[in-house]
Amino acid sequence: MNTYKIIEIKQSVFENNDKQAELLREELKKDKTFLLNLMSSPGSGKTTTVLRTIEALKDELNIGVLEADIDSDVDASVVSKTGAKVIQLHTGGMCHLDAEMTRQGIEGLGTEGLDLVILENVGNLVCPAEFDTGACKNAMILSVPEGDDKPLKYPLMFSIVDVLLINKIDAMGIFDFDIEAVKERAKKLNPNIKVIPISAKTGEGIKEWADWLRQEVKKWNEN
Amino acid sequence: MHELGVVIEVVKTVENFAIKNNIKKIDTLVLQIGELSAMIPRYVEACYPAAVDGTMLQDTKLKIEILPGNALCRKCNKVFNIIENKGICPNCNVKDYELLCGREFRIKEIIAC
Repeated sequence: MNTYKIIEIKQSVFENNDKQAELLREELKKDKTFLLNLMSSPGSGKTTTVLRTIEALKDELNIGVLEADIDSDVDASVVSKTGAKVIQLHTGGMCHLDAEMTRQGIEGLGTEGLDLVILENVGNLVCPAEFDTGACKNAMILSVPEGDDKPLKYPLMFSIVDVLLINKIDAMGIFDFDIEAVKERAKKLNPNIKVIPISAKTGEGIKEWADWLRQEVKKWNEN
Repeated sequence: MHELGVVIEVVKTVENFAIKNNIKKIDTLVLQIGELSAMIPRYVEACYPAAVDGTMLQDTKLKIEILPGNALCRKCNKVFNIIENKGICPNCNVKDYELLCGREFRIKEIIAC
């Protein structure tokens, strides 16, 4: 007869990822490279926002971009036209990036001389919120056509980000979108969240966003 | 559905643990999944055979324990289940709570033989 032995492990499955993320952050700190994790649902204007961000900051910062998608390189080819260093990551069916995949991307890009790396996460408001990528700050985009109820439907995403960009505000007149309700719902989940309304199309609000990002990059490199 | 990638991660963690602790064969793997976690037990079970295929856990049984999604009412301090009560305190009817548990996804233990 077999003798069975119960061995307690009691380990969170996310613990491994959290450790790797922490390690990546420490290395980025040493390299003086700021990593921004940008999340949103598909079609919210992530890539256009990235383009606007590069335009606004390229004269003062050296910028790299990690484009994460399940497949294709359409985003990378668009972003590379700005002159920024770009790497396309394929998650091969996975709906999110974890710290290990992010590290591979960062290594491929090379941090030398880069002040800011923008990670354009897979378009998804669910799983990316669960996995720490090792980024220094997390931002998300909610676009006006998606509706003002999204903080109620995807509470975790809204509670973990530092900044909420409300994009496509130029289309506000066409949609029933209550921007004050979004702010209130987001703040209830996350009292420290910074909300910046933008239009990546017209450029409205991009200055405020770029100012915030510049400030954060500066802070990261200072201490 | 993102369970497969995560379950593969679980299998790797358990394999490493087994190698370190000199365990040759694992009879059962026990996972704890919170009701509010983004992991769906049914899907974890569905992709488990694919995740363990060709690993030392190939013949290991999977057992899942569900942990309740409980909250503490900020107004009257009652502890209640979030899912059953849709987040509203059954005592004072207010939706203002602090999450106590339910978002876990843990490897609880293994039964080795």
